[in-house]
Amino acid sequence: MRELVARYLSRNISRRGFLKGLTTAGVSLAAAESILDSLIPIAHAQGTGGVAPESVKMVEGTGGECFAEQLIASGVKYVFGNSASEDAQFYEALVDRPQLKYILTPHEGPGAAMAAGYVKASGEPAIVMQAAVVGLANAMGQMFNAYKEQTPLVFYSYRTDQTRRAGRDGFEEVANQEQIVQPLTKYSWLARRADMIPETVRRGFKAAWTPPYGPTYISWHSDFNDEKTYAEIVAQDKVDPRMRVRPNPAEVERAAKLLVEAKMPLLIVGDEVYSTKAVSKAVEFAELLGMPVTQVRQIYASFPESHPLWVGGPPAARISSLDFPKNPDVVINVGNKLQHNSPQPIVAREAKFIDMRNDSWSMGNVMNTEVPLVADVAYGLDDLKAAVEGIMTSATYKKARERAQEVRSFSEKMKNLRALVTKNPDWNRAPMLADRVTWEVAQFADKDAIIVHEAGSVVLHGFDFNPEGGRELFFYYGAHLGSGVGTAAGVKLARPNQQVICLVGDGSFVFGPTALWNMARLELPVITVVYNNHAYGGPHSRVIEKTAGGKMVQKRQFVHDYLGSPDMNMAQIAKGFGVEAEVAESPEQLRAALARARKATVDGKPYLIDAQVARVGVAWSDKPWIPPIIIARERTRKV
Amino acid sequence: MPPIRGKTVAAFLACSLVLASPALAQRAQPAGFPDAPGKEVLLAKCFQCHAPTMWQDHRQDRRGWESVLYRMVGRGALWTEDEIKTMADYLATAYPRPAPASNQETP
Repeated sequence: MRELVARYLSRNISRRGFLKGLTTAGVSLAAAESILDSLIPIAHAQGTGGVAPESVKMVEGTGGECFAEQLIASGVKYVFGNSASEDAQFYEALVDRPQLKYILTPHEGPGAAMAAGYVKASGEPAIVMQAAVVGLANAMGQMFNAYKEQTPLVFYSYRTDQTRRAGRDGFEEVANQEQIVQPLTKYSWLARRADMIPETVRRGFKAAWTPPYGPTYISWHSDFNDEKTYAEIVAQDKVDPRMRVRPNPAEVERAAKLLVEAKMPLLIVGDEVYSTKAVSKAVEFAELLGMPVTQVRQIYASFPESHPLWVGGPPAARISSLDFPKNPDVVINVGNKLQHNSPQPIVAREAKFIDMRNDSWSMGNVMNTEVPLVADVAYGLDDLKAAVEGIMTSATYKKARERAQEVRSFSEKMKNLRALVTKNPDWNRAPMLADRVTWEVAQFADKDAIIVHEAGSVVLHGFDFNPEGGRELFFYYGAHLGSGVGTAAGVKLARPNQQVICLVGDGSFVFGPTALWNMARLELPVITVVYNNHAYGGPHSRVIEKTAGGKMVQKRQFVHDYLGSPDMNMAQIAKGFGVEAEVAESPEQLRAALARARKATVDGKPYLIDAQVARVGVAWSDKPWIPPIIIARERTRKV
Repeated sequence: MPPIRGKTVAAFLACSLVLASPALAQRAQPAGFPDAPGKEVLLAKCFQCHAPTMWQDHRQDRRGWESVLYRMVGRGALWTEDEIKTMADYLATAYPRPAPASNQETP
């Protein structure tokens, strides 16, 4: 067949001659026509001389082989998958393609979280595979997270129904499978032919990795994986638009004027600063204007928290709740999604608002936007800084210096007040305060540790995150729980030479512990610390706040929050997955456990600490009430 | 700890359900908060996130209130030690520990 293709492409034989040659060789006419169709773009490209030979190659093999070849050409190193029998030909293809590494994940959710963690920490592409719609359904929670967090992650699952039996409500069949994920993806598509698999894969990666990033989903009928085909494999960089947008210069000038003339401007940073590696640009920009810096909820810490212009995050997720500055007159957001969970805007209407993001769709949805700057924020900060410098005068430089001194005074005071957390009269208690666990881990962590944080009700302090070579934060934004352990495994896979510590609540942990097994098998030395208060503490407090003085509080009867009786032992769960672990009741035990964890990780082994945390808040009892549902007593037969 | 579907999100929601600003909180003068030292800083700071109803169900002794206030420091509240002391005194008087509940049940 190779010879026929070569002769056809070199125009030594006609289209008819090519088809005849293939059918003589035993290929059906339909298949031969399919192969011929796939050659058309190559023939066209050769005719124009526009494609470098090394960027395109033709592959003959099963659909599964072509899938593997395109993943390699798309730059994929790791495939995160859960067993799927209809992917047999893909697995077969991996045997002689060792550069494509398949990581078997025991549950699709934590597997997808691991893939997302790897993508976020490495900046490299990855794919998540699962079995048909049944596996897809398990992965969709993390697909939701990827969508909310704008993670460029590609998901694939086949349709179990083969092309010649589709539509019969067969095993694992659901109508329009690829449409299920549409609200959670940038792009979803069902390839219609085996030779269209590579093109579909390329498009999936292209859409995911074109800013603003997001997840995509690709699919095809499972018989395409088995079908022999002949397909075009194209290097991903030939289809990647590498879209980095510079802001409109006129808008840049308007923004610069507003900022220079402001009495008290405020900078909000967000994930796009981290992901475009623009942290140092944000620092320089803030220093130029002597401007305080804050951040509302995002995944990463995008500004050095020890910098004198850092004023902390607003405790109530609105700028008005900052202690400083009060009433900023100009607010510029650089790369933050500004998650609104309130009727009130995050930035008060009184302030003039400049929004610099690569996601034009979300601009102006909530905020009145004085100046929209649609841009890659690294370019945007370059341009805006240059524009500001162009109109600064000696008077405005002086004003900026004075403002910086004012911010610095607050920043120093803030650090001293935050340190008061250790003065809590219950500081040494056991089970521990969550704050004590956080503080001990902050004392323990390496100076360049990566903290993966899925202990949602725990507010971190003491880490002094610094994305410029210091400690980094990987929080979550999507809030489909069970992502923390998987994310930490993926982060360690991407950054094996940095300490990775996973902080996770007990409730979150039990949603997705299976990636512990991956840590053990792959020797991913992650330290996991579970804040275990045997309760859903956040929902406990918030439900009470909504029903203050109600019957639940009067009777101390809460059906929704207590996870004890029996208490879950997270250390035993970890051991079941092959991870060494222990329970720590007191601060002294926690310190000793952390020391053992460090030794284990130095030796290449993961470690888990089940840190016993006190239930604090309204109306907790030492032995909380549980609903009296005891089925054993209701039996009529003791079986 | 509290795994919350949309945990911190929900925390923010809780914050959003209350008064819009410290100034508004101060103007609102919620019932159940007698005038005394500590009230002003309580209304200005705590009401950014918490509804007045929370205090009603959270009665405890002074040490308990002091511990609560220091936990809020861990969540980003900026108070001096003197302010914490004053607020703990105030809350221990306004919302002291109730008589032990007699209707707790265990299975």
